[in-house]
Amino acid sequence: MNNFMVVGVMLCLDKLKVAVEDKVILKEINLTIAEGEIHVLLGPNGAGKTTLLMAIMGMPGVQVIGGGIYFQGRDITGLELEERAQLGIGMAFQKMPQIPGVTLRTLGELIIEKHGQDGSLAETAERINCTYLLDRNIGFGFSGGEAKRAELFQLLLQQPLFSMVDEPESGVDLDNIALVGSVLNDLFERKQVKSKKRAGLIITHTGHILDYLNADMGHVLMGGKIVCRGNPRDLLSDIQRSGYEHCLRCES
Amino acid sequence: MITQEDYLQTLKEKAESAADKPAALGPDVDLSQFYLCSPQERIENPEEISPQLREVALYAGVDLNNDKTPGVYLQVDRSAVYQKMQEAFKGKMEIMSVSEALKKYPELWQYWWQLVPVDTDKYTAFAELCPAEGYFIRVFANQKIEFPLQTCLLLSEDSGIQNVHNLIILEEGAEANLITGCASAREDQAGVHIGVSEIYLADRARMNFTMIHNWGERFHVRPRTVVKMGANSFFNNTYVLLKPLLSLQTFPKAILEGAGANATFRSIILANEDSYIDVGSSLVLRGAGSRGDSISRVCASDRAQVFARGKLVSYHDQAQAHLECKGILFSREASIVSVPELEVYGAPQSRLSHEAAVGPIEQEAINYLRSRGLKKDEALSLITRGFLNVDLPGIPPALKKYIDQIIQVTSKDLM
Repeated sequence: MNNFMVVGVMLCLDKLKVAVEDKVILKEINLTIAEGEIHVLLGPNGAGKTTLLMAIMGMPGVQVIGGGIYFQGRDITGLELEERAQLGIGMAFQKMPQIPGVTLRTLGELIIEKHGQDGSLAETAERINCTYLLDRNIGFGFSGGEAKRAELFQLLLQQPLFSMVDEPESGVDLDNIALVGSVLNDLFERKQVKSKKRAGLIITHTGHILDYLNADMGHVLMGGKIVCRGNPRDLLSDIQRSGYEHCLRCES
Repeated sequence: MITQEDYLQTLKEKAESAADKPAALGPDVDLSQFYLCSPQERIENPEEISPQLREVALYAGVDLNNDKTPGVYLQVDRSAVYQKMQEAFKGKMEIMSVSEALKKYPELWQYWWQLVPVDTDKYTAFAELCPAEGYFIRVFANQKIEFPLQTCLLLSEDSGIQNVHNLIILEEGAEANLITGCASAREDQAGVHIGVSEIYLADRARMNFTMIHNWGERFHVRPRTVVKMGANSFFNNTYVLLKPLLSLQTFPKAILEGAGANATFRSIILANEDSYIDVGSSLVLRGAGSRGDSISRVCASDRAQVFARGKLVSYHDQAQAHLECKGILFSREASIVSVPELEVYGAPQSRLSHEAAVGPIEQEAINYLRSRGLKKDEALSLITRGFLNVDLPGIPPALKKYIDQIIQVTSKDLM
């Protein structure tokens, strides 16, 4: 069933096929995320999880060679990266590039200018323990955990309707993982009982983030295909018990 | 003992012997194609400075409307047109035309052509043999002038030669910040700017010196600068060139005589159109614990040719310095040649290093910024601005905006 035009659907991938440098990485991905839902993406290294996020974001070099991406009912497959960002898609990257002479503060100010959010830079930085990082150049001297918080800081300023987070827990120490979890709850408006709209897709390896954030659905990506879906906690405990091979059986 | 008369006579003879001597670097300029501008009248009231000149000065970093400036000097062509020092700074410092200073203090001849050899090349010779003017700044011992002094050298006449000789003396423990803007009245103007600057920093003196050049596109520019530094003195120089010209060749030198002297040269070059730019800096480390950096950031677009030089010379075991040259080439017709030189003489413990990189703007960085909603051209100009690191303290906001605009226009060519 094609549900990419259905009201209340935030994101829909329809038979999405993706290649990087002419090598097919994702084959026929079907995925629907409704408004207010958080989905997690599991899978072994090299399964194509990050590539899937990049394809949704529209990163150059990640080519859609079949199928389509629909955002709030609109076909965005051909849209430029910044156009998708302006529509309300955002991403916290696993790795921050180095940009000499451009501070986190400068970029933060530009994000506020671009997305017209009324959040204050200083308050947001304080919220995610980034104040002391504001005058560092992007990508220079950030530890794993600092880079992660700096990424989430930018997402908080951007306030996307649909946020993708690539491994929120990697490189983050135990003290900070609760902070990351609570910030993600803010980002997805999880505390609001009604009118939850914001949605997301999170890559997790360890599943630690699920202790702080309730996800609605989990998907296991292997060999470029989604091989299993279900309750994220159940999926994770199956994987922890029997490994990813177990998921392959699920497909058949 | 050598008398002033003998000295001046020797200078003249040396200059005459070098009158046709081409510079070691850069294309040779036929000075006979240009003429010495006619003298301009002195202005007493700053209101008389035309709005056009004010604007030209402003875009070269000098705000003639700013009355907080402790001292200001404006030269048009070869005449000191306007100079002013705030009353409150009397007895702390002096700022005036160098010709007045030499008359008022004849003993200054002992500083005259002592750092820059008069027979360096035909340009220094010209500065001696033809009437030159420039600014004289002296900050008295232990006086700290926080707010930047401003000097502005403008060339108004087409095909004119501006012949400048400046003298700066910071006495022991003195501190000063100086912004110098050099510009031509019009963008399509032809001309030559010869600028000799001799800077003396006594022990513990500290100076921040920002120089912004905005010349016409048919200009040849030949600054000749040497700084002599006493013990624990500090010199921080930033040179900014963002507009096209025919040719620029400059290789300023700091001689770190005193122990613990510290010098940094930073060149920020946005070379475009048919500019031929040969720029660099040199540090001569003689004092124990003397140290410094020679840094350049170059973006070359259109058909610009850039030579980015750096030379570190150490004579002392406890000296250390670093040279850093980074470039981005924006066009297939442009070129960047990085020329680092490290020289150590009989000081095996000194540490000199260099780092040079010429490469493209990282696609990953552009995509990252676009994913935050920045358009491609916005991302490029942000990255270029960051790369050039043009966040200069103390420059007027109007110039900041202007610099951003220039960078935005140039980085658009990248796409």
